[in-house]
Amino acid sequence: MLARLSELPLLVVLLGVSGALAFVPAIHGLAVSDYAVARDFFYSALILLIIAAMLGMATAAYSPRDPAQSHLASLVGAYLVLPFAMLLPWLQALPDTTFVNAWFEMTASFTTTGATGYAVDRLSDTLHLWRAIVGWYGGFLILLAAYAILAPLSLGGFEVASGRVPGRRASALTQAQRVAEPAQRLSRWAVRLLPVYSGLTLILWVGLMITGEGATTALIHSMGTLSTSGISGQSGLAGGGFPAELVVFLFFLFSLSRRALPAPGFAAAPGTLLTDPELRLAMQILGVVTLMLFFRHWFVADSTGDGDAAVDALSALWGILFTATSFLTTTGYVSADWQAAAAWSSVNSLGMILLGLAIFGGGIATTAGGVKLLRIFALLRHGGRELERIVHPSSVGGGGTEGRRLYQEGAQLAWVFFMLFAISLALLTGLLTLMGVSFEQALVLAIAALTTTGQLADLGAPEPIIYSTLASPVKLALGLAMILGRLETLALLACVLPARGRR
Amino acid sequence: MKVIICGAGQVGWQIARHLAGEKNDVTLVDVNPELVRRATETLDVQGVVGFASHPDVLERAGARDADMLIAATHSDEVNMVTCQVAQAAFNITRKIARIRAPNYLGAQYSDVMNHDRLAIDVVISPEREVAEAALQRLAAPATFDTESFMGGRAQLLGIQLDEDCPVLNTALRQLNELFSTLRAIVVGIRREGRLFAPEPGDQLLADDQIYVFTHFEDVNRAIEIFGKKTKKQERIVIVGGGHVGLAVARALEARSNRVHTKIIEKDRAVAEAAADMLERTIVLHGDGMDIDLLMEAAIDRADAILAVTDDDKTNLLVAVRAKQAGCQMTIALVNDPTLAPLIGPLDIDAYINPRATTVSSILRHIRHGRVRAVYSIGDAEAEMIEAQVLSTSPLSGKLVRDIAFPEGVLVGAVMKGERVVKPTGDLRIEAGDVVALFTMSSDVPEVERLLQVSIDFF
Repeated sequence: MLARLSELPLLVVLLGVSGALAFVPAIHGLAVSDYAVARDFFYSALILLIIAAMLGMATAAYSPRDPAQSHLASLVGAYLVLPFAMLLPWLQALPDTTFVNAWFEMTASFTTTGATGYAVDRLSDTLHLWRAIVGWYGGFLILLAAYAILAPLSLGGFEVASGRVPGRRASALTQAQRVAEPAQRLSRWAVRLLPVYSGLTLILWVGLMITGEGATTALIHSMGTLSTSGISGQSGLAGGGFPAELVVFLFFLFSLSRRALPAPGFAAAPGTLLTDPELRLAMQILGVVTLMLFFRHWFVADSTGDGDAAVDALSALWGILFTATSFLTTTGYVSADWQAAAAWSSVNSLGMILLGLAIFGGGIATTAGGVKLLRIFALLRHGGRELERIVHPSSVGGGGTEGRRLYQEGAQLAWVFFMLFAISLALLTGLLTLMGVSFEQALVLAIAALTTTGQLADLGAPEPIIYSTLASPVKLALGLAMILGRLETLALLACVLPARGRR
Repeated sequence: MKVIICGAGQVGWQIARHLAGEKNDVTLVDVNPELVRRATETLDVQGVVGFASHPDVLERAGARDADMLIAATHSDEVNMVTCQVAQAAFNITRKIARIRAPNYLGAQYSDVMNHDRLAIDVVISPEREVAEAALQRLAAPATFDTESFMGGRAQLLGIQLDEDCPVLNTALRQLNELFSTLRAIVVGIRREGRLFAPEPGDQLLADDQIYVFTHFEDVNRAIEIFGKKTKKQERIVIVGGGHVGLAVARALEARSNRVHTKIIEKDRAVAEAAADMLERTIVLHGDGMDIDLLMEAAIDRADAILAVTDDDKTNLLVAVRAKQAGCQMTIALVNDPTLAPLIGPLDIDAYINPRATTVSSILRHIRHGRVRAVYSIGDAEAEMIEAQVLSTSPLSGKLVRDIAFPEGVLVGAVMKGERVVKPTGDLRIEAGDVVALFTMSSDVPEVERLLQVSIDFF
């Protein structure tokens, strides 16, 4: 069955899966006696499954010339096409919404951006659950793609470690050595990743319920954390208080380093988790940010000394740490103590720091977005090495073959990616300002979309930006930018360029 | 004694030369017919061409009645297998293997290389021994040669005397009275290229090279008395990042006091491998003879330079160049013993002779029995032999002054139990004591007779 499925075009399989997933809100609707919405989801699920089955039969004999490239194209296609399938139940359940709004909502969820164009109260918990599921599905897809599609093509951050030209497959050394079939690889990784990913979601769900969150809210938050979409239901994460935040905080680990995932065959390099460069870099960044903001209080703020200083200090410390980690992993949950933290450190534009953290992003081959820590690490190592070379021009760097590759070819590719990111950011900001958005808002929105951290709109600017007030063309541009940010410019270029260039 | 030596490389060749010089029946095995031909022509050895671990090759080399096998090919694995074949097929009693890779020599696997398991009785590791010798030289910067004896309680120092040495033109007997508490004794003097064991009436002259055997607590005092200063080494430059240079750098890194080490290596791949293995040491890629590179390594402010490339001439020239650029102390690795006399004229402070260190460690095992350590001095001109006195020995129970030592033999120190004492005429040597004897090469057989340990002991 699985082997048969893996031979179908990837896009058709993905369409079928999104149909199957729509049954979950249908069941939830039944459970909360919201029969109309349940019916909408049930019918949409059936329709999607039937379409997928028909497409599957029609394309069963399809065999692409270059399966690896075809899978990459399918991945791009998935982000472009699947939101249209997913908005089917949405439009049914919310008849008074516009098509663009529904598409924006689904794209934002599917790219794990988590931006929403609706007021929290306007959507029922069932609809929030659908957003969370779509985000969770998108997170799984990017995780699977990172291992099964992007890694063999040396994309998605793996180009930094491998030093190979992005978008090319590794060639087999001899005829005896067979490069694994992309389809096989995809199903193999799916089987390996799905239990881990859903198991972790389940654990977090149970954990959040123990801290006192309702079942639906806990599930939404669990999915939002694992997929880094940061989607909340009607009641935000702040409702759960400190214990809920602590549990979520622990699960941010899986967005910081790919090696945190507890499954065999994941540890690409030797050494324990604590020696992982990405995690160490993340800890350094978070440590510096947290301590700087925390101790700024005594240097700058006029300590009037009203209230309990010790409790204030602790809650401020936690507020800074949690929110900074949340935005570094591009998730976007905000701590209940964030206001206390802002007051404590008395920085006027604290959101700017969150913008910077979101650009750093999480680890490669995780669900996080942004530039990715490994690229930052490669650039830092390169910088350190260059400084060494100023003192000793003929010195030889250590770190092993892989370490050297990281700060030589790896850093170059990381720099290329960083420049592509910066250019896309500049172009998008320019485009948004042309559409009439003020410059500051355009910049924040562009960063939010490209790093897939939709919640930046609330905190990044001095005044919160409300997505629902934006014009339709702006939403359209932002939605496309989210896909660009999710897939990474490099992967998109690799998809478009070599096919045209080589033949 | 019949000895088979596998591998006619640097180590195998030198061992063959030394053992053949002692009238042993030596057979050299190597895959390279050219090397074997040269060995049989220049040394008094037989040669067999073939792969060392093949049983038929060993049989042709006379493994059936051989007493000892020394496996010193360039491959650790071949050496191991050769020993195993020698054990299994021919039951050769003593098997010595040269093992290079530090992975085999790690402490946690040290019991793998024993007689029962891998059939290796003794492991020798020239690179490790040379690295240790280099570290000893660095530790005693004023000496040109050092070796420790009696479990580290005594030290042999080679000191080059200058014009400003305060004890010149003084009879050794008077020196002994002047510094009566100093537990040191001059055991050898090299004057105008000739090494001899001094008489009590002999005087020290400028430009003499002397060998002093001293208690380890008196090392610094002895060095000061002979007009040298001891100084801490903080900045060290190593030229050559091969096995030796890497081992020295790693040992220096492991020390608690911060030593700033820099390695210069010509080969990019070797340099990268060295950089991977080292934490704090800076590895520079380039030619060690390049003055710009030497200046980049801050040679003018360095306390010592260690030239340990595989080329003797490069080592000598690098040392000279570094000295000229302002380096305090220069140490060169010299494989060819005939180059050793150049050390003085070239103003190189010390040299390491891998041959001496390796041959010393092999000799220790050949002179088995109660001989605990042998150190070969100079170009095999003399030996420092550390041995335990057996009750059957003519030495046992006698006063030092009554023992009929040959002319070229001097007692360096006597260890009674754990205590190292300076030999005087009325010291009685008892069974169980450990004596350190300076012995001219020609007197080695006589000393062996005195110690009741002959080469046919096993």
